[in-house]
Amino acid sequence: MDTTVESYMLLATAIFVIGSIGFLVRRNVLVQLMSIELMLNSVNLLLVGFNRLHTGNMAGQTFAFFIIAVAAAEVAVGLAIVLQFYRLRGGVNSDEATTLRH
Amino acid sequence: MELLTELFPPANFTLLGFILLLPLLGAFVNGIFGKRLGREGVTLLGLSVIFAAFVGAIITYAMLIEHGHDGAAPKFHFMAWNWLELQGAGNGMTFRAVPLDVAFSVDALSGTMVLVITGIGFLIHLYSSSYMAEDPGFYRFFAYLNLFIFSMLVLVLGDSLPVLFVGWEGVGLCSYLLIGFWFNDDANASAGKKAFITNRIGDFGLLVAMGLLLYYVGALDWDGINAGKNSLLQPVKIWPVGDEVPIARFLPGGLADVINAPRFVNAATLVCLALFLGAMGKSAQFGLHVWLPDAMAGPTPVSALIHAATMVTAGVYLVCRLSGVFVLSPMAMAIVAGIGAFTALFAATIALVQNDIKKVLAYSTLSQLGYMFLGAGVGAFEAGFFHVLTHACFKACLFLGAGSVIHAMHARIHDTETSQDMRNMGGLYKFMPATALTFLAAWAAIAGVPGTSGFFSKDEILLMALTSRVTGPATISGGQYGMVVENFVWPEWYSYVLYGMGFLTAVLTAFYMSRLVIGIFFGEFRGWKIVEGWIDPHAAHAGAGHDTHAALAAHDAHGSADPSHAGHADHGHDDAHEAHAHPHEAPGVDNMDGPRPHESPWQMTLPLWILGALSVVAGLLNAHLIHIAPLGHLLEPIFAGASKRVEVSELAHSFEWMGAALAVFGACAPGVAVAYWMYVKQGGAPARELAVKFRGVYSFLQDKWRIDEFYAETVIGALDALADMCVWFDKYIVDGILARLSAFLVQLTGSLLRQFQTGRVQAYAAMTVLGTLIFGLYFAMPHAEVHEVFDDSSGSYKLSAAPGLGYKYRWDIDGESGWDRGDKFGNQTEVAFQLKPEEQRTVRLEVEGPFLVTSSYERVLSRPRGEMAAVEPAAAEPQRLKVRPARKAPPIMPGTQVPAGHPTLPNSPSAAPHGAAKGTH
Amino acid sequence: MTPGLVLFAVCSLLCLGGAVVTVASVNPIRGALGLLTTIVGIAGLFLRLNAEFLATMQILVYAGAVVILFVFVVMLLGPTASLPRDAGRRSLYARAISGGLGAGVAVLLFALLSSSKSHDFPIVGKDHGTVEAVGRQIFQEALVPFELATVLLIVAALGAIAVARANPSKTVKKPSENPTLRLFHGPLLARDAGHPLDGRTLEERHEGNSEQRAS
Repeated sequence: MDTTVESYMLLATAIFVIGSIGFLVRRNVLVQLMSIELMLNSVNLLLVGFNRLHTGNMAGQTFAFFIIAVAAAEVAVGLAIVLQFYRLRGGVNSDEATTLRH
Repeated sequence: MELLTELFPPANFTLLGFILLLPLLGAFVNGIFGKRLGREGVTLLGLSVIFAAFVGAIITYAMLIEHGHDGAAPKFHFMAWNWLELQGAGNGMTFRAVPLDVAFSVDALSGTMVLVITGIGFLIHLYSSSYMAEDPGFYRFFAYLNLFIFSMLVLVLGDSLPVLFVGWEGVGLCSYLLIGFWFNDDANASAGKKAFITNRIGDFGLLVAMGLLLYYVGALDWDGINAGKNSLLQPVKIWPVGDEVPIARFLPGGLADVINAPRFVNAATLVCLALFLGAMGKSAQFGLHVWLPDAMAGPTPVSALIHAATMVTAGVYLVCRLSGVFVLSPMAMAIVAGIGAFTALFAATIALVQNDIKKVLAYSTLSQLGYMFLGAGVGAFEAGFFHVLTHACFKACLFLGAGSVIHAMHARIHDTETSQDMRNMGGLYKFMPATALTFLAAWAAIAGVPGTSGFFSKDEILLMALTSRVTGPATISGGQYGMVVENFVWPEWYSYVLYGMGFLTAVLTAFYMSRLVIGIFFGEFRGWKIVEGWIDPHAAHAGAGHDTHAALAAHDAHGSADPSHAGHADHGHDDAHEAHAHPHEAPGVDNMDGPRPHESPWQMTLPLWILGALSVVAGLLNAHLIHIAPLGHLLEPIFAGASKRVEVSELAHSFEWMGAALAVFGACAPGVAVAYWMYVKQGGAPARELAVKFRGVYSFLQDKWRIDEFYAETVIGALDALADMCVWFDKYIVDGILARLSAFLVQLTGSLLRQFQTGRVQAYAAMTVLGTLIFGLYFAMPHAEVHEVFDDSSGSYKLSAAPGLGYKYRWDIDGESGWDRGDKFGNQTEVAFQLKPEEQRTVRLEVEGPFLVTSSYERVLSRPRGEMAAVEPAAAEPQRLKVRPARKAPPIMPGTQVPAGHPTLPNSPSAAPHGAAKGTH
Repeated sequence: MTPGLVLFAVCSLLCLGGAVVTVASVNPIRGALGLLTTIVGIAGLFLRLNAEFLATMQILVYAGAVVILFVFVVMLLGPTASLPRDAGRRSLYARAISGGLGAGVAVLLFALLSSSKSHDFPIVGKDHGTVEAVGRQIFQEALVPFELATVLLIVAALGAIAVARANPSKTVKKPSENPTLRLFHGPLLARDAGHPLDGRTLEERHEGNSEQRAS
């Protein structure tokens, strides 16, 4: 038996779920950012997998390419925000980011 | 005269317009520009417009007399403009469009009233120019007075009930404004309010009468009413309302029958009673009289004009004007006469024990008004109306004289109540001869001294009370219309009762008026010790002797416990007065020193002279006794129609002189004599002894029979309770539930929702995931959608099921029950089958989703006959339900989802030609 | 057991393992390394899916830049980059709920996937996933997004600089009036080099230093 698209779907789902649980559970801002990267990667995997299934064009891979670019930009800005956050709060605990609290 | 007739033709008598407009103009200008015009300007304007109106009234009257030579009642019309038109009113007989026009008319009746109004009005304006000279609200007073004259003129000159009603309300308004003229004092404002509200209760009656007249007669103008008044002779069932009284069901048969027996009255009775209710309010008959004594809170000229001469006579005018309608109902007339007589007696008893001179005069007015209604009620409209005229003269004279006396008393005593108290006066004859003489002339008239106007008019009324009765068509069984409309016959004894009450009232009137005169003008002066050349030590401030009542509140209160006096800060010129404090001195020869009481200036005494003279000689206008009756002659044609239903017994002629003698020697003389003995000879001692001996009766009379208190307990108490209930409702239910409860709910929801706003991104992300989950459930549930392709020519159907993640399908298309390939779910998404023509088949599909939840789909597919075109789906639906063969669609299982295209849903999109059952092939 | 299958299995394990390590480790450096592992695993899977260009890009950009950036920041933050694991009740609730939610999503997706039909991969030509193919796609159909991505990257760079600037204080203004030049000035004195990114102002830092010198 060979791998089908469903196996890639399963794998991507698993990585995505792990990433989302990590984002929801961890309080460390850096780990949260990394979890976001996990989720993005899982989506990339899924896109490329489907592109392998529907081979008319390279739209899936192109999309994944752009996702990589955007993820890179987002990580840059995100880490800058983490630095500022660190300066404000002295730590990286996301529980202290409650200025929008009622 | 011909010139005048040419100028003012009877059909378009524009002089009426002038007579009406001039006082209105005066009111307008005085009201708006009064302050700028100054005292003289306001006086000039106010007096001249009334005088001009008076001249107009004289001209009108002259023309009326001229035109009336041939015996018919002359009537001049003036139509100002079309106001409205009611689209159809009245019942079957009288249904037509009713125009309401602003039209005026004058005949002898209203002409006389106009003369009285403008003439006496002018005299009172003249009087007030001096009486109110020191008042800061001078121009306002004249504006209101002019407005009052205008409204009263509208009332009497109106050609129809609505226009009369406009005037009616106008005089009510002016009465309110003038009674509460010194509104800074709460008591005055309350008195004004009381007058207006009590009037309003009467106005309700007038409105009901207008409605009834519209319904039965179909017209509201005098000509129309007179023409159609016979339509009022219909029985109206007033009891029971509906078919039966509900309680009667629980009562034994006989009693129930009695209760349920229908009672009928004449429609005319209803109309007349409603009209009389209005008249009761305006003319202060018993029940709605409570405002008149309180109205003495206004300035004395107001009392003279409004509450003696003109406004209170509006009710009598109304009855006289609609005399033709009133006589159609003997019952109503009997009630009118009865209430009139009772009011006369009742008010006279109260006046016996009053000490305030204005109150005595107020109750005497009430009593005389009762006489007027007594006269009108027994059918003697002429006599009643004549009494209006004479009463206007002598009562105005009395009030103005009282004003003159109060004016003199104010030189020393500034408090309202004390300065009007009879016990502080006395012996003023020496100091104020003009006032005294005219007052005595008017006293003679009201007491019934033979030869005076009051004698003739009162005597006539008493005579008529005894001998006249209203027969009317309703008492004749069979009647004009062949039916008994109302079972009421004027009782024999009733006339005697009325006469007795009237006679007793005459005795009492003579007594208390003599008491009043003696108390004011004779004996020794009891107000203060007269010191020649006495100067008021505090007279440096403006207008020493003639302070206004508003200022007087500052140095207040012997016997005045009005708490509102304490809170005054806003009088026009009062600061200086409040700076000094008059020592609270009680009036009395031993306590106070003061100047000589002085006579009033010419502006005040001239009207007194004129009115006094009139009181004496005006009787000759209608002195039936000695057969000199020019006025009666003029008024005869107006009441001719009504007189047909009035029966005057033979006694009238034979008893004439006897009745007059009785009135003089039985009523007037004893009354005067007893008063003279009691107060002059015995110095008032017997009165005091009687007051002590019959303390209960005395206090009952002095408390005005405690009617005000009764009303306060019952009617006003009920309204207060209702108001309290409404306050409770507003506070707890409206505020509590609508406002506070809803606010509370919103706050509760807000505080609940606020818990979600933690400010932490993770929490928000968790909620996003939750939402995604819920959303995802939709996709996780299976949806059974089937796409059909139908081939007409071969009758084959291709069905394809919609794909979905994890779907498994099973079909049933072969027409037999049970799934096609057993109960297992498979992956078959497309099926096809063929139908023979006119064959139907039920197709089912069940889809199982990933969580083993199933959803099903079912349809009946058929193949129509070749030539049938597309059938309208709306018609197809019910037909299908009717005609379908035994196999019905199994009901949708609960818990499954019904796809949007399912035929049992109302907007099934694919109804056309596929799924229709045919009843008409 | 084809090599492809083996590669798939190994790379999947790498991915999953790296993901779990990222999410579960207290030390953020370990987390970054876990991320690196996942990325490499995914790159391997890309290779299997005939996406060699993308695999290369993945390694270059993700493993070679993003993860490095993470490591930089973790190093910059020093010991304060990791948080003590507290066993508070509130965090237990949060973790339980979040875990539940995640698990729910997982179950949903797994269930959906498990019952559906399998789709096999078709055979593709040699030029599927090459640089030319992807490049053709990018520069023809996706040209505008490409340019926009360029702009995005520039903006992101500028944004990162703007956000991560030190808070301006009066004493820092001294060396230069031009605010732009200030961006390139690091700490003025060598003694500040030891504590680059406290939350303290310059005065507070000098106090600390003077105390140190005094003692």
